[in-house]
Amino acid sequence: MPSRPPPRVDLDLPVEASTVPALVTARRVEPAVLSARALTRRYGAVVAVDGIDLDLAAGDFLTIFGPNGAGKTSLLSLLGGRLKPSGGDVHVGGQRLDFGETSWRGRIGVLSHQSFLYGHLTVAENLRFFGRLFGLEDLDERVPERLEQVGLANRGDFLARQLSHGMRQRAALARALLHDPELVLLDEPYTGLDPHAAAVLRGVLSSLKDGARTVVMVTHNLTQGLELANRIAIQVRGRFTWTGERDDVDADAFEHFYHEVVESGRA
Amino acid sequence: MPSKNVRTAGGVMAMLGVVGVLVLHWMVFFWTPTEANQGIIQRIFYIHMPSAVVAFLAFGIVAICSALYLWLGDDHLDQAAVAAAEGGIVFTTIVLLTGPLWGRIAWGTYWTWEPRLTLTLLLWFIYLGYFLVRASTENPDRGKRFAAVVGIVGALDIPLIHLSVRWFRSLHPGPVVIKPEGPTLAPQMMTTIMVGLVSLLLLFAGIFLIRYTIEVAKQTLDVRDQQARV
Amino acid sequence: MTYLGQVYAIVWKDLLLELRTRERIAAMGAFAVLAGVLFNYSIDATIVRPQDIAAGLIWMTLVFGGLLGIGRTFYLEAQDGAFQGILTSPAPKDAIFLGKTAANFVLLYVVALLVVAVFTLFFGLHLGTSPALLALVLALGALGFVALGTLFSAVSSGTHMGETLLPILVFPLLVPMVIYGVSATSRLLVGRPVAEVAGNLRMLAAFAVLAVFAGAGLFRYVVEE
Repeated sequence: MPSRPPPRVDLDLPVEASTVPALVTARRVEPAVLSARALTRRYGAVVAVDGIDLDLAAGDFLTIFGPNGAGKTSLLSLLGGRLKPSGGDVHVGGQRLDFGETSWRGRIGVLSHQSFLYGHLTVAENLRFFGRLFGLEDLDERVPERLEQVGLANRGDFLARQLSHGMRQRAALARALLHDPELVLLDEPYTGLDPHAAAVLRGVLSSLKDGARTVVMVTHNLTQGLELANRIAIQVRGRFTWTGERDDVDADAFEHFYHEVVESGRA
Repeated sequence: MPSKNVRTAGGVMAMLGVVGVLVLHWMVFFWTPTEANQGIIQRIFYIHMPSAVVAFLAFGIVAICSALYLWLGDDHLDQAAVAAAEGGIVFTTIVLLTGPLWGRIAWGTYWTWEPRLTLTLLLWFIYLGYFLVRASTENPDRGKRFAAVVGIVGALDIPLIHLSVRWFRSLHPGPVVIKPEGPTLAPQMMTTIMVGLVSLLLLFAGIFLIRYTIEVAKQTLDVRDQQARV
Repeated sequence: MTYLGQVYAIVWKDLLLELRTRERIAAMGAFAVLAGVLFNYSIDATIVRPQDIAAGLIWMTLVFGGLLGIGRTFYLEAQDGAFQGILTSPAPKDAIFLGKTAANFVLLYVVALLVVAVFTLFFGLHLGTSPALLALVLALGALGFVALGTLFSAVSSGTHMGETLLPILVFPLLVPMVIYGVSATSRLLVGRPVAEVAGNLRMLAAFAVLAVFAGAGLFRYVVEE
């Protein structure tokens, strides 16, 4: 494998110089809830994810920004065990994502811009179905509880296709959280939501920041992405061109900063 | 990357195979005795039978390489499977062309549902399925996996197909297929058959090795091409 | 046991969806009846007695009509990406395959019974001395068919060609099922003794077992992205 060039440090950024763009996050907390090493994914000859390293502790909320084609969805799919890495590996809760067995899948919850719900089943039926796949026993209590948490308490008997887009997203979130995963992955959750629905979703997502759960969110929307995050990464062409803490970033100047990073990452 | 030696070895084998085929043709037309019952047309057997052996052997290679490919994930195994499949389908086609020709002249009809020929026809379609799935996916790696599945399931089913088709035949006998080599096997016929087998096997082996190196080169170039674009 | 629970959840979900949408059962059921009608007009009863070829007609209708339904196995899954939800759950891939196959089997078997009923009506068939055995023949044949069909439905869904690829992939492999299935069925329809059918039943069972195991083992490689 050809060696990668060292990370670029001299970017003209409106950020403290002490923030070093690193491919390995500076803060490594043992034991990391989510840990990825040299994570790579190829489709035939195309490299979508190019040797990414990552460490997240319990309670971290990482938002990954990046342009289309940066490989963000592929990265999330790798972290969620939907895709097999072409190289490197992922550990969740200390357990390696080994495709030979499936026990680690109970630790991960995925919310995509697709709802993962069957339109012709009710919300409750959908949740019960996935609950059984996850081997959950107490569905009679768990399902109503989850629906309550996402604000769909009295919509349980609606067919999924009857829900508005915003409600469907929340139902999808209920599905993702049904088994109490320690790692939650959100792929562009705000896509297609009107401002009100987005606000409702944000309210629900903020409840995920309970200190025990770890969240990784991918989004285009710079404002929404910054709201809940405590860690930030910008992905360009399969690599983390910039990583850092939310506190190190000036929200007002972030848009300008982001575009600069993306441009430099493309160069 | 396989060394140049593989390519050269392939070339040498193919050449030897071609020479063997030329020798075979000389033997078939000028040396081997004529079979008593069927006459001259029986001579097509010396191409037909060895081709069938190669066709099925090739598929065996496809199946084994496919199984190993799914298990180990090594692209070389997929490349070998494709190479074997291409050679295999060529020889399968030869069987399907020579068989009916023989049948037409020897027994009056092109197609008699003779069990082995029928099995070969089905094999041809399994090969076809192999190539179709391999080529019609968006993600090429997925196509390779699909093709491997086709190869494995095909190989598992072929013995059953063979049994069933033969059993069916026993219930509904068609034209009596006289022993292709005649009531007795003259020593010269045996020799000719052996020459045929060896030549075609060499030819297949040569084609296989050459095709394998081409496939490896192709996939390596695809990767480099994409990397250069980034 | 969680494994069986997972298989059962998938069976239940598929059948419930089928009950709600009725897409596949309607298509397959209509096909069965209409095929019978077309067969009636395609057979010259003065030359051939339909009863003599009924077994073959039944099985061919089952194969063609069955493939219609099986080809759509993963269609509803693709809407809204629900299948991804299943793949990222702890359910083992072979459990998913078995669940899908079992649901398809129920569907196909219902259609099979419908075909037999329709053809009995249309062509004046007599179900012979042991309809239970006929039911078993159909079940074993359907099982092998469904296992292969489900596996290759997943394959064809992942290609550009889609469902049109399914017959090419599956028909060659079905030859044993057709041979033994038709033979057993035709013998039962004319009231032959059980002993004559036993060999066919064994082969059908072997075919079914092989198909189910192969499918369960290979499914994980097919659904992998």
